Amino acid sequence: MAKNPGTSKKTKTPAARKRLRVGLGIMLTLLLVVGGKLFMVQGLDMGGMAEAALASRLTPQVLPAERGQIVDANGTVLASSVIRYNIVVDQTVNTSTETFHRFNEKTEKLDEITRDQGIADLAGLLGANESTIRESLTGDKKYFMVAKDVKPELEDRISKLYIPGLSAEGVSKRVYPNGSIAGGVVGFLKDGTSGQAGIEQTQDEILRGAEGKRVFEIGADGLRIPVATDELTPAVDGSDVKLTINTDIQYFAQQAIQSQVNKMNAEWGSIIVMDTKTGNLIALADTNAPDPNDPGKVDAKDRGVRSVTAAYEPGSVQKMITAAAVIEEGKSFPLDHFTIPSAYTIDGQTFTDAFEHGTEERTLAGILGWSMNTGTVMAGSRLTKEQRYDWLTKFGIGEQTDIGLPAEATGILAKPEQWDDRQQYTVLFGQGVSQSTLQTVRAFQSIANNGVMLQPRLIDGYIPPGGEEQKVPAKDSRQVVSKETAQQVRDILESAVTEGQIKDAAIDGYRVGAKTGTSQAPREDGLPGFDGFTASMVGMAPMDDPRFIVEVVLQRPKGNIYGVTNGPVFRSVMSQVLRTYNVAPSTGTPARLPQFVK
Amino acid sequence: MSNAAAKTLPSTVGSAARSVSAPGERAESGRKARTPLSVVRSAPGRRRTPFVVLCFVAMAAALLTVLVLNISVSTAQYQLVQLKAEAATLNKENQDLTQKKQNYEAPQNLAAKAAELGMVASTVKGQIDLNTMAVTGKAAPAVKGDNPGALLAAPAVEGLIDVVPSVTTKDPLENRKPEATPVAPAATPATPAANAASPAAAPPVELNGGSVPAPLQKAPGQ
Repeated sequence: MAKNPGTSKKTKTPAARKRLRVGLGIMLTLLLVVGGKLFMVQGLDMGGMAEAALASRLTPQVLPAERGQIVDANGTVLASSVIRYNIVVDQTVNTSTETFHRFNEKTEKLDEITRDQGIADLAGLLGANESTIRESLTGDKKYFMVAKDVKPELEDRISKLYIPGLSAEGVSKRVYPNGSIAGGVVGFLKDGTSGQAGIEQTQDEILRGAEGKRVFEIGADGLRIPVATDELTPAVDGSDVKLTINTDIQYFAQQAIQSQVNKMNAEWGSIIVMDTKTGNLIALADTNAPDPNDPGKVDAKDRGVRSVTAAYEPGSVQKMITAAAVIEEGKSFPLDHFTIPSAYTIDGQTFTDAFEHGTEERTLAGILGWSMNTGTVMAGSRLTKEQRYDWLTKFGIGEQTDIGLPAEATGILAKPEQWDDRQQYTVLFGQGVSQSTLQTVRAFQSIANNGVMLQPRLIDGYIPPGGEEQKVPAKDSRQVVSKETAQQVRDILESAVTEGQIKDAAIDGYRVGAKTGTSQAPREDGLPGFDGFTASMVGMAPMDDPRFIVEVVLQRPKGNIYGVTNGPVFRSVMSQVLRTYNVAPSTGTPARLPQFVK
Repeated sequence: MSNAAAKTLPSTVGSAARSVSAPGERAESGRKARTPLSVVRSAPGRRRTPFVVLCFVAMAAALLTVLVLNISVSTAQYQLVQLKAEAATLNKENQDLTQKKQNYEAPQNLAAKAAELGMVASTVKGQIDLNTMAVTGKAAPAVKGDNPGALLAAPAVEGLIDVVPSVTTKDPLENRKPEATPVAPAATPATPAANAASPAAAPPVELNGGSVPAPLQKAPGQ
């Protein structure tokens, strides 16, 4: 408009204005079109462009929760998770790529590498045959696993080979650094995720934790867009499970029972070590314990914890319950006088002993010290059938243990009205009733702990990630017998070692009380009768204030059963426990109740 | 644009004063300071130029600031990614070493190592009570060559297992070069000492992607 200063305003201005208006109109129309489009795209998002773009940028990421550890009482790790890599290949890519480039860190240049050279390098790192590697890289599969469970350090070096089509997938791997030590207790995982045995199975929910999620926007360059959406739901790691097991004692016990089973050619053996003051289980040792790193190496029947899963007829260790019952009921006392014939017949049932003897004048202590069935039946028959049943029940026979292991045995304690003529007496010395080793130990624990029965504990507490340990509270305890009765029964047990037949359970410097048990093991093939023995020994020390109970069980040892003794095993495990926990040597005079009435 | 035109074309000034009715030329009339008809005092032209410049400068400065911020943020982002990767690597390495240590500490591995060194477990111990000075128990020295009893297998902590279908039916770990084994393979659990000792095997030479090892360098002081 101002370009023509010489022209007259009157004639030019309307034309200029007109052009101006037309131009302005065109501009405005274009602006409207552009603006409208802008509004449609930005404001209304017709065609879902923004949404699609956001969706392509939004990257959800699952944040895996780390599975909690399983640790022993001292914090020794029994199970933990580590990262491992699976090396996988897209064979189509690799087979068709004859040469590829590799960044050389030394020269900072790209080297050209042939496929053969790449295969040779990979074979060298994996420690495999070149031909094997070539075989696995060649083909038409989009996904093929070359190597499994590669350690991070090796994965790092493999990734630097830049082999086409090759990639690594991170997987969480459960590792059990102590292997078969407490292997049955710890258990193992099914497919790297869910527990299939032991603590891994029963505490799966707690160990597992909760997966988290992160949603963020990622640019075309593969970097996160800093100011865009970033929603984070953090993963909650699983809690650690702390057991009451002491790995060192556990090892010692496992080694001891394995040696004993090997020596005696027994079917299996197990050892329980329990703290009498708390009910804490310090060792649950089994023979042929599985190594959770590779549980398939042992038979399926060996993968559990026999101390709690195997119920068997306990044998003479049950005489302790009979003695405690008759004393508590006031029907007898440790130095009570029994005249015992070589065979004792009651209600048409005749009972004999494991050793030949004539008519003897025995004390109640002597009956237990020599483990006489005749005397036990004689004393126990002073109780009614209901009383016998009640006392077995009070001592926890037929009552399930609940320590957090799968398939804990309840045992079989038939009702008194179902007992036949013989069973009503055999239950007094541990035949015709079945129970797990842990149930036996629990019964002895109540005697050791002044008559108060504590429920056994295996899980000491849970440690949430980064938090304080939360102790698992002890279950209700109960007074089974009076303190005085417990003391008298303890004296009987100690006399069995000092005066009776279990002299090989004695430990220098400590007062020990013990009871052996030998029972007939029923056949497992369904036929009637029995085909072996169960030999056991349960004892406690130091008797001035019992701290620990150890039970050793040996199933079906070969050879003469009367030559089998678990004394040395009991002694070595017990002295190891006493030394580990710095228990002071015993004080006071050992109980020496006379076994015979003079 | 009209400002610039007004400055460069003084000839239109007079005509602008006469035709006050034209609203489009008011700006030009405003330029004439001496005209009493001047109605626009609020927008003096002299002040407008520095303001526009200021605007441009401010805009440029703002743009520059945003650019610098953006660059620094994305640089930090790169750094973050790198540091995170580094942290992850160190974490994994740490995890690995911890596991190795735990494996050495496994009781059966310790026992096997002790036996290898010729140590024998003592069986009978004595105690001294410092309060009463009483000695209990008869400590006996351990006997060399005593039967150590059963050997418990070392933990089968997996190294790497080749899952490629093997042509032969032999053990899949058999054809492995031992020096590339990070931890003794699961195939040798019967000899605990072997597992305990072999992780110490020399790691493969770092070839940095090549095939020729770097020349050895003399350590200082040698």
